[in-house]
Amino acid sequence: MAISPPSTRRRMHPSRRQDTSMAYIMLAPVLVLLGIFVIWPAIQAVYLSFFDWSFYTESEFVGWKNFHDVLVDNTFWEAVLRGLQFVLMTVPVSMVLSFLVASLATSVSRRVSTVLKVSIYIPSVISGVIASITFVIIYDYSGGLLNALVNVVGAPNQAWLGDPRWALAAVAVPAVWLGLGISTLIMIAAMLDIPDSLYEAAQLEGANWWQTARFITIPQMKNVLLFLLVTGFVGSIQQFELPLVMTGGGPNGATELPNLFIFNHFRGDAYVGYSIAAALLLFVVLGTISSIIFRIVNSEKLVD
Amino acid sequence: MKRRTLLCAAGASATAAGLAACGSGTPGQQADDPAAKGRTQVEFWGNVFTTPENAWYEKIVKDFNAAQDDVYINYQVVPGDAWDQKLKAAQAAGTAPDLYIQPGRLDTAARTGLLMPLDDLFAADVLAGITDAAKEVSQYQGQFYAFPLLVEPQMTLYWNKDLFEQAGLDPETPPTSWDEMYDACEALAPVMGNGEFPLNTAVDSGTFGWTTVAAQLHVAGHLPISEDWSTADAEDAKYEELIGFYKTLQGEGWIPRQPLGEGNSAQAFGEKKVAMQSQGSWAMSELAADYPDVVSATGVAPWVQSDGDLTHSISTIGNMKWVVDAKAKEPEATASFIEWALGGDPEVLKPFFVDTQFTKAPARDEVTEVVNADPAAEDAPWSDVVFEDIVPHCIPEAQYPWDINLAMGDALQAGMLGEASPAEALGTAQKEIQKVIDREGLAEIRAEMDA
Repeated sequence: MAISPPSTRRRMHPSRRQDTSMAYIMLAPVLVLLGIFVIWPAIQAVYLSFFDWSFYTESEFVGWKNFHDVLVDNTFWEAVLRGLQFVLMTVPVSMVLSFLVASLATSVSRRVSTVLKVSIYIPSVISGVIASITFVIIYDYSGGLLNALVNVVGAPNQAWLGDPRWALAAVAVPAVWLGLGISTLIMIAAMLDIPDSLYEAAQLEGANWWQTARFITIPQMKNVLLFLLVTGFVGSIQQFELPLVMTGGGPNGATELPNLFIFNHFRGDAYVGYSIAAALLLFVVLGTISSIIFRIVNSEKLVD
Repeated sequence: MKRRTLLCAAGASATAAGLAACGSGTPGQQADDPAAKGRTQVEFWGNVFTTPENAWYEKIVKDFNAAQDDVYINYQVVPGDAWDQKLKAAQAAGTAPDLYIQPGRLDTAARTGLLMPLDDLFAADVLAGITDAAKEVSQYQGQFYAFPLLVEPQMTLYWNKDLFEQAGLDPETPPTSWDEMYDACEALAPVMGNGEFPLNTAVDSGTFGWTTVAAQLHVAGHLPISEDWSTADAEDAKYEELIGFYKTLQGEGWIPRQPLGEGNSAQAFGEKKVAMQSQGSWAMSELAADYPDVVSATGVAPWVQSDGDLTHSISTIGNMKWVVDAKAKEPEATASFIEWALGGDPEVLKPFFVDTQFTKAPARDEVTEVVNADPAAEDAPWSDVVFEDIVPHCIPEAQYPWDINLAMGDALQAGMLGEASPAEALGTAQKEIQKVIDREGLAEIRAEMDA
């Protein structure tokens, strides 16, 4: 026979009951804010997505029309595919670079390690807008630093942000640079958690750096790598500031990532139903892909 | 990029300047000015414009606030790309400013109820003084939805006479047709150094979207949508020729592959990185303010046309208007400011046109008379070109939704870059425009507008 909840509560130790109450009290502000700024707007967004919503005139119920318009719109799917392409350009590079820098930082002296960690973290505190403007200056067609270097080797100026072949990669570079600090620090923390005994055993067996990394470091960091993969994926596909400031989505839509696509509709359309429907569908797409990643790369409790 | 966005987006320096110019540093937040106490407060949002325009806006607000004790104008500069989302967010929340500045056609905003009709806010004689050209871009279904500040052509040709002379060209004879433009570029190319170009034009979709509307009409005799807005009409072979013009310019290396700056800026010309540029008439005021050393060597002419015929649809014309939000809290007070600044004594408006180097046409004839009487007008020979050779041959900005401008801008860019053949690029534009027509129900909207 199941124990009724009241009797359970009656039997709860007083100190534990106090802990639970305190937890609810401390969670309350966050839950209230979450409700006001996330949950309620999300519910409202779903509701409004079924309307031709105008701010000043009466909105008209249009059913699934906005979703239909988005789903049959090639430009939406092109933006999503471009987002995935951007993820492939940024996340693997970022993870490999972070891993290498983290490995270096954990194997050098404490002083050098500190210098390395500070250097790699600095971009993380720079605003995306400032970074965008800096890279626009670097990529400038006439007078930019990069083209000055290109000229040194005798090549003509390249339209880094004006050529569809280069533009997305040109935006990916600052994206990697900006994200490197956080992922490196997380990897360093994960590496420091790996028991030294594993490395000592490997050393006794004569393992080299690559073997140590492959058979000890990477498997021990599996959960952290999964976390960085999923957050990197979501952060990268949702990149917005960089293409907005650097290219506005051009040339020829080559850098119009999903969020910028939605934003451009939001500011250009007379009604905002399309933008809301596109945002909701993007949410579904991102959620699906994230769950697939979790499914493929299972997280599990580490066993020393 | 949209014209408005372009005007706003002047990079970090403009953003910083804009923020510095804000009364409170935060757009939409009221300045803590003791003079505002006890008065009816009016929120007025503006953008970052050229240097003399920014100075005029600051001054006009200050002068009005000092001239009377009933109304206090709180002028806020909303910089850069923040404009669109800032205004939309405010509209959604019902906290939009009473008054703001808007370029482009007003039809969509009027139709969707965002703007307050103005006819009842002003005495009939105040509105009667507005010129026909300015009425065209300020009215919707015969009702004023904006008070026009000015009209200005959005495509003119600027050339550097010194560089023309160096290239062996007649410094007083600019090109008028595409073929003459090719010849001029060919002659100028050897004179220009690395990273410098004979000509600077739009090279991105957004700028193409608003700068080529008149050229589209000129070459094809129609716009890329049927007159009743029921079908797309973008697959005209004449549009392929227009794409071919830009493709040739780029293929020969006569224009840059990447924008040399903002689409509405004369910076590259001012820095002598280009010998010619296509730009709105406002460029002259920018040059005079920021690059005074190039003014004496600068010529202004109508922008080149396919056949050299400079007597029809050589540029769109329109631009800055003051609009009152449909939910304005203080419409009467707002109107009193507009009437004082734009609709009253011409001497109040005169400095705007003088300081912007006689490159913009006033929206009222009596202001034009006062401006033309200014002694400095004689030292601005380009003003005759702008008002006599360009303005009479312009067309109003496009009335259809921006997505249609952008579809043609995309086609021009794709064709120019060789991403698609001109015919393929226009085929894509055709589909995109038809999609917008169907999605937005443009045929019904057009019928409603014509009713």
